[in-house]
Amino acid sequence: MATTTSVAPETAERSQPRSEGQWAVVFRRFRRHRLAMISLAVLVIIFIASLLAPWIAPFPRDDIGLNRVALPPMSVDPTNGRLHILGTDHLGRDFFTRVIYAARVSLMVAISVTTLVAIIGSILGLLAGFFGGWTDTLISRVMEFVATIPDLPILLILSAIMIQNADLIVLPSWIIGPVAWIMAVPLREATQVTLLILVLASLGWVGVARLMRGMVLQVREMQYIESARALGGANAWILGKHVFPNAFPPLIVAFTLGLNAALVSEVAISFLGFGVQDPTPTWGNMMGFATSYMFNHPWMPLIPGLPIFLCSLAFNFVGDGLRDALDPRLKI
Amino acid sequence: MTTYLVRRLFQMLIVTVLSAMLGYSLLYLAPGGPLLFLQQMQNTGQNRVTEEDIARIKARYELDLYLPVRFTRWLIGFPRGPVQIFGVYLLPPDTVVGCAIPGQVRLRYPDGTVEIVEEGCARPVTLADLEERRTSRGILFGDFGLSQQIARDRPVSDLLMSRLPYTLWLMGVSTLLAILIGVPVGIYSAVRQYSRFDYAMTTITFIGSSLPTLFMGVMAILIFSVLAKDAGLPYLPSGGAQAVRDYTIPWIGRVEAGSLLDRFLRFIMPVSVLTFFNIAGWSRFVRASMLEVLRQDYVRTARAKGVREQLVITKHALRNALIPFVTLLAGVLPTLVAGAAITESVFNWPGMGRLLVDSLGRSDYTVAMAILFISTVLVLIGYLISDILYTIVDPRIRLS
Repeated sequence: MATTTSVAPETAERSQPRSEGQWAVVFRRFRRHRLAMISLAVLVIIFIASLLAPWIAPFPRDDIGLNRVALPPMSVDPTNGRLHILGTDHLGRDFFTRVIYAARVSLMVAISVTTLVAIIGSILGLLAGFFGGWTDTLISRVMEFVATIPDLPILLILSAIMIQNADLIVLPSWIIGPVAWIMAVPLREATQVTLLILVLASLGWVGVARLMRGMVLQVREMQYIESARALGGANAWILGKHVFPNAFPPLIVAFTLGLNAALVSEVAISFLGFGVQDPTPTWGNMMGFATSYMFNHPWMPLIPGLPIFLCSLAFNFVGDGLRDALDPRLKI
Repeated sequence: MTTYLVRRLFQMLIVTVLSAMLGYSLLYLAPGGPLLFLQQMQNTGQNRVTEEDIARIKARYELDLYLPVRFTRWLIGFPRGPVQIFGVYLLPPDTVVGCAIPGQVRLRYPDGTVEIVEEGCARPVTLADLEERRTSRGILFGDFGLSQQIARDRPVSDLLMSRLPYTLWLMGVSTLLAILIGVPVGIYSAVRQYSRFDYAMTTITFIGSSLPTLFMGVMAILIFSVLAKDAGLPYLPSGGAQAVRDYTIPWIGRVEAGSLLDRFLRFIMPVSVLTFFNIAGWSRFVRASMLEVLRQDYVRTARAKGVREQLVITKHALRNALIPFVTLLAGVLPTLVAGAAITESVFNWPGMGRLLVDSLGRSDYTVAMAILFISTVLVLIGYLISDILYTIVDPRIRLS
């Protein structure tokens, strides 16, 4: 055993021109998970469609028509003879148009919340794990406190209060402007969306911070950190160059699953009527309206429901695939 | 152990007060509530609302008190009036604790325009005034105050008690079912790891846990209520815990509103959706824990001694695998009472979760705060119980 390990690396180094990098290995392993690959493709398609929303949407987003209320899918517009691929909603607005605009809002909310959460969470987790002492105590106590507050009630209360008074809360235009541009919504509607993002992010960072702290606590004791210190590296350099890259992989899985959690929370809050309000479409508030008309128009909830279903399942499969691909103990 | 418990209870008290403070400040910042209605009346000009009316309504909901005073009155029911010890006033009756009618100052700008600005206080509220008011004993002592909108002026606790049985039934039965199905599935999956059964179950539970309850609930109503009814098949009624009037279901016959059958039929869908969603958590947990135990030396020893496989699994492996499981049970406690807001809303189930949603929709913040407070306390109690259970099921762990 001892002889093979001492000899093998050198010969391997020489015989192979260049061994594949860590990420190439991860990607090769990820590709084996067929469902995860399909899911990734589905997500990419939905994402691209949402980015192209203003160009591929056949109708204006909020075009109300009382002579074409609740048309079933594949029906023809009574006024101009154009086709409503997915039918129209309770106000006669084209469902296909609204679904892709909603994809833009829902997915972008999920992405921005998760990105914010990942940034805040990993910074706090890094600091708590690396420096220990009172920094750790302070951050850990705050994390415990946030964790004891039940998520859904506090999320509902926060968003109900914030969204119902969105006009009173003035956010700087350098936040609202980009949000409005990314979500393809008017400035006025962007305030609500931004508030929802902030609410979701303000409670979501604990999980990431805890994960990061745990990883950093492990990495901190590694010998390469000690040698980096011996080289006289500054804390910031050690943190950025050595600790973070090594504590990073589990964060990828957490990020994917976090995307799903954020998407589902947004959908749930908007469904209950405390999130983004009509006329800004999101899958959640579309679902809310569709359910109240489902007894007469049973196809209605399927239209926002299927994208929710697809994305949620796809995020989970991709997360599962990434977890397998990143787990060194697992042989695939 | 006793010192540990005392310290933990003390910490719990601090966290409870902190989270109550957080919630209460949110509630304080939130506009709406009873005053919004008055303002609307004033704006539409239907009725003349005098300053006196506003002051009276404000007094009823304690909106005229300063935030710290309101908070302590809400939390522990203090101060109820002037405070005196041994005949000496600690807080004399004329201590100002709030403002009933704000003062108005007429501002005259150089350009001649006049603006009326609220400044100071025309009629302050003193501690002596508080003596006449109905005082809550404080939420810490179980008095949740009065509902502002949903059940006007009735105690919040009445409202909570009327919803609690529905939530307890829904959450209790679905949690029990999820455990009864999930645990055996988890054990079997672990014993036959990578078998066809394991793969099938992993996939099914994975899908169940990936789908939001919102989607599952709506789809269940769509398939089993709407489409089945349209097709003339026996269907499951949805919406509410019981019907308003009698109805007929094909093959089953006439169902009397409010009868046991009616209630049962309406119970099936929400319970199934929650169960399906929760099975995954339990089965994955048991599977992982079981797989870990099956690799332990004492399991191999037992097998080597020639113990029958069935006995190895039930006696040696399972008992140890269930140790972490027991502690998870304590985590169920808060959800049993707080309910599932989304599932309850989808199925119109009159439970606590929907009460929270309703109270927020109608700006009845006392009710919302009560529910938030109860769930926080239950989460904390759940943590404590699970820590204590740890020491009981695993003697190697000591609390200090």
